[in-house]
Amino acid sequence: MTVDIHAYLAELEDIPGTRVYTTKRARQGYWLNQFAMSLMKAESRQAWLADEATYLEDWPMSDDQKQAVLDRDYNRLLDLGGNIYYLAKVFSTDGQSFVQAVSTMTGMPLEDYQKMMLAGGRSPIGMRSIKGGY
Amino acid sequence: MAHISAGIGTSHVPAIGMAMDLNKTEEDYWKPLFAGYQWTREWISAPENKPDVVILVYNDHATAFDMNLIPTFAIGCAETFQPADEGWGPRKVPVVENHPDLAWHIAQSCILDDFDMTIVNKMDVDHGLTVPLSLMFGKPNAWPVKVVPIAVNVVTYPPPSGNRCYKLGEAIARAVASFPEDIKVQVWGTGGMSHQLQGPRAGLINAAWDQKFLEDLTADPERLRTIPHIEYLRETGSEGIEMVMWLIMRGALRANSTALHKHYHVPASNTAVGHIVISNSTG
Repeated sequence: MTVDIHAYLAELEDIPGTRVYTTKRARQGYWLNQFAMSLMKAESRQAWLADEATYLEDWPMSDDQKQAVLDRDYNRLLDLGGNIYYLAKVFSTDGQSFVQAVSTMTGMPLEDYQKMMLAGGRSPIGMRSIKGGY
Repeated sequence: MAHISAGIGTSHVPAIGMAMDLNKTEEDYWKPLFAGYQWTREWISAPENKPDVVILVYNDHATAFDMNLIPTFAIGCAETFQPADEGWGPRKVPVVENHPDLAWHIAQSCILDDFDMTIVNKMDVDHGLTVPLSLMFGKPNAWPVKVVPIAVNVVTYPPPSGNRCYKLGEAIARAVASFPEDIKVQVWGTGGMSHQLQGPRAGLINAAWDQKFLEDLTADPERLRTIPHIEYLRETGSEGIEMVMWLIMRGALRANSTALHKHYHVPASNTAVGHIVISNSTG
């Protein structure tokens, strides 16, 4: 089956509140994600926690990416090419769980987010398509 | 000859592993989730059901593979695999022992069968692989089965299509059938079900869609193999795409295979948990 790559990519951008990790974002976020990956090692985590700004100096990331990491602004990091499984190394180093970090991207207080999950999660109704509104 | 006796599908949420490691499984939050695996634990420990080898299909979550190397289908061929340090120290679970002869045999057979597998030796395995083992076998001193890891890229787009995954399952079944040792093999597909871990839409769950997927694994697998990426994304959240890995498991079983057990629970952390055991038809 041959796929029209442009139609395929356009659809990926049509989902509300979602940044699909496409090749374009993978290129944009290469160093941002590799920086995050470096925190897999205990000694790197120590150096990072001791002085975040100095640690970032060694990484060829954009100023926007560096600032968004320092701010722990995860929605901004998604926009700048970050991928959640890489960014997880940053929030894990902060001692945050997936639920805690993920809730910060939803604009909901942690308690409300946890209540929503216990009640069955966020409904897909109205959240499937920006253009279609369904 | 080797034969595939059954397939298992299960979510692999890291928090499930933490709940087990920290002895929280009897807490109200976790109890109903683990209750749905009790049937499988008893079933799989019976001598007539226990496999010698599990071909375990999972995805690496930026652990062994970073942005430097993104294999679509990778097969682990080393003797053993260590549980990975994912940023909070390695899980204290047993080392994963491979069946390297079978792994190399599957690699060469699939490559000749038009699947260009990436062969990996040194590879630490993350929660995607160890949580399913914990769910089925609890906390033993050593895993009671050999494990052939098959890692699928579902992180960087595009992941393989559902149909491609299904066909890989069929190729794996052909490879197992030509392996000369008389061993019992299971294929596990892991990940899913609906969940989204990023952006303002995070927390999305679609129980109706998930349950239809579980049902159609035996009722209508032909429908499942045609589901496009965009449907997984729209209906099941950005991380629901992991369910394509269940289709590798399904493709490795015969058409008229039947479900022995199903379980569905929301939530585990941010995720809907699904589980199925399918007995492979004998002909």
